[in-house]
Amino acid sequence: MTRNTRILMSIVYWAFVVYLFVPLLLMVLMGFKDSNFIGFPIKSWTLDWYIGVFKDSEVVSVFLYSTVIAVTSTLISLTIGTWISVLLAGRSFFGRIIIFGLTILPAVIPGIISAISFRIFANLLGIQTGMFAIIWAHAVHNVPFVVLVVMARLATLPKSHTEAAMDLGADKIVSFFRVTLPYLKPALIGAGVFCMLLSFDDFVRSFFLGGYKPTLPVLIFSKLRSGMSPEINAIATVVLVMTAVMGIWAERSMRRMGKGT
Amino acid sequence: MSTTPKPDAADGIAPGGATRGSDRPTFWGRLTHAGPYRAVTDFVFASTRRQFILLAALPIVWVLFAHLGPILQMIRVSFLDSYPPAVGYTPQFTLDNWASFFKESIFIKPFFRTLMFSLSLTFATLVLIYPVAYFLARHVKRDNQMLLLLMLLIPFWVGEIVRTYAIMILLGNTGAVNLILKTLGLIDRPIPFMFTGFSLSFGIVYLTSLYMLMPLYSALEKIPPTYTEAAADLGAGAWTRFRRVTLPLSLEGISSGCTLVFLISTGLYATPILLGGPSTTLFSQTIAGFFHVAGDKWPTGAAFSTIMLLTALILSGTFMKLIGSLTRGPQK
Repeated sequence: MTRNTRILMSIVYWAFVVYLFVPLLLMVLMGFKDSNFIGFPIKSWTLDWYIGVFKDSEVVSVFLYSTVIAVTSTLISLTIGTWISVLLAGRSFFGRIIIFGLTILPAVIPGIISAISFRIFANLLGIQTGMFAIIWAHAVHNVPFVVLVVMARLATLPKSHTEAAMDLGADKIVSFFRVTLPYLKPALIGAGVFCMLLSFDDFVRSFFLGGYKPTLPVLIFSKLRSGMSPEINAIATVVLVMTAVMGIWAERSMRRMGKGT
Repeated sequence: MSTTPKPDAADGIAPGGATRGSDRPTFWGRLTHAGPYRAVTDFVFASTRRQFILLAALPIVWVLFAHLGPILQMIRVSFLDSYPPAVGYTPQFTLDNWASFFKESIFIKPFFRTLMFSLSLTFATLVLIYPVAYFLARHVKRDNQMLLLLMLLIPFWVGEIVRTYAIMILLGNTGAVNLILKTLGLIDRPIPFMFTGFSLSFGIVYLTSLYMLMPLYSALEKIPPTYTEAAADLGAGAWTRFRRVTLPLSLEGISSGCTLVFLISTGLYATPILLGGPSTTLFSQTIAGFFHVAGDKWPTGAAFSTIMLLTALILSGTFMKLIGSLTRGPQK
């Protein structure tokens, strides 16, 4: 690689970093603007919008609502995803590839179509739109990601570990809970946080399956449709910071997994 | 974290459930010696067939019911003349919903616009991101790679709505870009970036670029630097090295990156509403329209969703096949 192309590529790289970060930084800055009008330049600054977010009981309750949905759907995804991974990993049987394909299916369906199909299916089952419907849709959507991460981790579990447990008298259930599950811990943390972020930030499924109470992205969306305001910036910034902190924590957990055990 | 079973892993598994240094059996000890547990496990573990059925039952039911069910029901509804069913009326089979797609240009136009948008933006993202991934994988020190990747991942975790809003602030009439251009004296009146094909494309690339970066990065990272060095020793120039060594070896990353970006951009709904205008209506908005109005339009929406899904899956499937045959081709 010549020197010039290398310099060119580093420029493209840093331009890309700027492209990714500048819009978000501007959004954060705008949340400190002491005016109701969104737009540059910012002449005076205030913290009122942020204080307002934590005082606004609607925002706080929607925030809790989104959190409950994210945590519950993640727990379901982790349980089902791990179960499917144990079935698919290290075992060959008739129809294995079909089950794997169907497992991955929700991940490749474009968002809007996934939301519409869940909406129609919920109607068939007589499920009302609202919290339960959203939890169910998020859980289904997140299972493929859990399976991919957990299967990758299971593939590195030495057979001797479970065999040793069995030699010591454990049955398959005990050896799963006392050997396999602890081994999967970093993968489960990583996949779990990833699922929570996906659920917390999901718009299209929450929008079509939600009842009267909005989730956080749906609330931001409906506020946006009635006009931009620094209040939205403040809410979005809180979401941004939380997401980033959780994401970094999960990434570190996954990284430790990559380094071996 | 230690993964080897701790020395006391046999707690309670040993006969009698007693453990070294303690007379009290552990939870697992008590469980494995409980009568009902023994009865069940003795029955299950008696044959591998039983074990397998018990293990496989939940996953099979789940994927058939929760993963495949909604899609099948959507396809079924697309052939009905009314849904949700009215009381006392049995929906009849009809092809009208599918036919209406081909009759009206207000439906076909957004459909092809979506395909054109998604395909061209996928290509643009590939061209834009390839150097970024290459730089990251080949020219950055190993330790720093993870740090830089992590940095790029932060915006990626933030949802569709927040990032779309960030783009609205950047490109608005009183946004940062217009302010800079005005300060520099390049323009007198703000350029209306928003609600055009430009703002929509800008936003979609912003949302999807990381899905291109990750597969490309992991493909490029796997290529040993010795390969290109060997090619250089044999007299290959920079362009030849790229075309004959790096590009063919990164095809897998290109294939999965493009498929991901294409499928995601066809499925976006909030972004075209917030960033697009009347001339950029995408098919997702057309589909959603059938679900906001009275219920009898649902079958048409279901038919259109199925058309979109089939087109997207066939296109990306063909593309992956094509790339797959390319990967295998030159080696023979």
